[in-house]
Amino acid sequence: MNLNKNSVSTRAKRFYIVGLILLSVVVIAFLASLFWTPYDPYTTDAASKLLPPSAAHPFGTDNFGRDVLSRVMCAAKFTVFISVSGVAIALILGTVTGLPAGYFGGFTDRSIMLVNNSIMCFPGILLALVAVAVFGASMFNVVWALGLVFAPTYARVYRSGTLEIKEYDYITHARVMGIRPIRIMILHILPNLVPQLLPATVIGLANMTLFESGMSYLGLGVQPPDASFGKMLAESQAYIRVAPWLVVFPSLMLVFYILGLYFVSEGMRVSFTKGGGS
Amino acid sequence: MARHIHVVKVHHLTLSFPTRKNPNPKPVLDDVDFGIRDGEILGLIGNSGSGKTMTSLAIAGLLPDGAHITEGSIKFQGEDLLTMNPKARRKMLGSDIGMIFQEPSTALDPLMKVGKNLDEVLVAHGIKDPKQRRESILKMMTTVGFTNPEEIYERYPHQLSGGQRQRVLIAGAALLAPKLLICDEPTSSLDTVTTVQILDLLKDLCRKLHMTILFISHDLSAVRNFCDRVMVMKDGKIVDKDTTSDILTNPKNAYTAELLTNAKLDPRMLGIERAHVDYSSSPVLTAKGITAGYRDSRFGKGSENKVLKGVDLEIYPHEILGLIGSSGCGKTTLIRSLLGLLPHEGTATVLGKRTGAVFQDPVSCLNPAHTVKWHLNEALRVYEKKLTKEERMAKIIAALEEAGLNEDFLLRKPYQLSGGQRQRVAIAMCLIMNPGLIIADEPFSSLDASSSAEILKLLTDINRERGTSFLLVTHNIHIIRQIAPRVVVMHDGKICESGLTNEVLNNPKDPATVKLLNAETKLHGA
Repeated sequence: MNLNKNSVSTRAKRFYIVGLILLSVVVIAFLASLFWTPYDPYTTDAASKLLPPSAAHPFGTDNFGRDVLSRVMCAAKFTVFISVSGVAIALILGTVTGLPAGYFGGFTDRSIMLVNNSIMCFPGILLALVAVAVFGASMFNVVWALGLVFAPTYARVYRSGTLEIKEYDYITHARVMGIRPIRIMILHILPNLVPQLLPATVIGLANMTLFESGMSYLGLGVQPPDASFGKMLAESQAYIRVAPWLVVFPSLMLVFYILGLYFVSEGMRVSFTKGGGS
Repeated sequence: MARHIHVVKVHHLTLSFPTRKNPNPKPVLDDVDFGIRDGEILGLIGNSGSGKTMTSLAIAGLLPDGAHITEGSIKFQGEDLLTMNPKARRKMLGSDIGMIFQEPSTALDPLMKVGKNLDEVLVAHGIKDPKQRRESILKMMTTVGFTNPEEIYERYPHQLSGGQRQRVLIAGAALLAPKLLICDEPTSSLDTVTTVQILDLLKDLCRKLHMTILFISHDLSAVRNFCDRVMVMKDGKIVDKDTTSDILTNPKNAYTAELLTNAKLDPRMLGIERAHVDYSSSPVLTAKGITAGYRDSRFGKGSENKVLKGVDLEIYPHEILGLIGSSGCGKTTLIRSLLGLLPHEGTATVLGKRTGAVFQDPVSCLNPAHTVKWHLNEALRVYEKKLTKEERMAKIIAALEEAGLNEDFLLRKPYQLSGGQRQRVAIAMCLIMNPGLIIADEPFSSLDASSSAEILKLLTDINRERGTSFLLVTHNIHIIRQIAPRVVVMHDGKICESGLTNEVLNNPKDPATVKLLNAETKLHGA
């Protein structure tokens, strides 16, 4: 009685605001890097290597004399690109497998879920590493491998949602009207899954970024001279004592991006679930 | 403690849902003032949205977030509930105030056995000895009419029928012998026979355990033989309050009289005219030997559980065929088979035109993600793909208007519609396909009396003007009597009796029909 509805939306709003501020730092860096960076992120300059942050180089320079701010902006580009396209692939694969599995049930369900569960049996990062090791280390292989590894999670979200929704009268009615199954799945069921899918997608972006950073750190992700946050961390490891700024700025960006995504998804969860939880 | 004449005294209660944008909205409960006398059964009647449930929730202290009591007080045996601290109030729930809800299928935890479900109540109220708990549960289960309490104790909720579950819930509420039992539409999802049993049980408990009951219902006639006094609510106000017999036979308030008329569904009052049926023409739907069932499938073996056993059915043009039978007799399975949703043996041939369907639950019959326009468009495009945009809109609006709605509803989403309006959209979706037969599965049971009367009139108008045939499945024999010239009675997966409505209902031959009719008479009067 004392708790009123406003508190739920206020809580959600707070999550959104903090999350979007954190995210916007990374997204602005990413958008700006498409048109402009203070220096060329790839040009080495032996004269100005390992310079601490200054007016000319706000984030300092690295061991090849490259401007860290420029490289961070460039890394934001790759990190955002990889996470978004990886999740997109996972979502598409999840849709084409999870929806029919839930809708048709029976043999279709069992065979699709057998494949999905087999993928889920292995630790995701291991599977992605193997895939990249076999097909060669490149950014596109990383995207594909991560998309494939993440797909079963989405397939499960789709399947369980579909199982619930297909029992509603409006789906039965659609079947009675003679609408084709594909149309029912895409136009009648899918829109109703959005509240469950959106938070899962955003969390997926964050997890994808962590995986990508891990793989780049191990040298299997983005290839030099390109940069991603994980790659930059790996490269700067050797200089952590002499040039701590090399570690600080990429880490900060990584934290902003992931924390921002988590906050946004939490906001979605609070505003979509009635009552909000505690 | 001093004895009070009123167990609960609600004093000028006003309640609203203020928001930041609109700090002074129209109150949901407006100056509600009544008392529940010790030991009586008080009926609370009104259409959906009239504030019945809010009143009961306010008494139980279960108001949703955002509800704000602006004025008034609720006194339970002299103690003010609204100023009480939450802990003391929670303690009162269950032991002093019990509650039974409408939907017995979701009120029990599906993962707990029935006994465990009931056990939780006693544990929560501090009875430590497990043996004592088990004994009192078994005793209470016998009291609520289970002949095999030990067996039911070990069952899971899904293994019980709706009526049995409602009995379990009543047992749970009665275990702590509360002084006040609030029943929020406890019978509206049950069939007539079960409803009568449950009402008898409640009345019996009321006497045995000296309970007071607040009985909420949208069905005026259900309170006939049950309540001592009745209150009628409209738009958050109590508009009428009197003894049951006065309300039902001699209503003084115009609104009560209207409710009563609607509840009777008198065809002359509603202006319903029957269509003329030509039984010599060939039937719209011919079903022969429909047999269907669910296989208890584990690796394809296991016995098949036949729900339908060779059902033959014919529906003629212009006809409304009534289909009645108690819960679990296979009505729904028959409909699903006829609509081609279930695999079945036997043949169902539909002549010429298409079949439309209207379902029971107006909440789930429309897709919450889409607008009314989208729904109609979707129904239209299944059969007529080559229309221009203007032709489509014209057809959509025509169907909507025929179903009693207008263009304003086109862009609304289901949550912005009332139950009756949703049912109208579902009917419009059928109309737009221009069906020869509409199968309606309990289209009235979730609607209040006024909406059912309107929908009933709409269906008969469609039947008369378009010549559309109907297969009308319902618990409500009264409706069948009024509008269906022919009726089919189902029992245990078979058709046990069929023929002209007057003959079957006035001179029933099968024991199952007799049982249904007796329950009906008891509930609604002769």
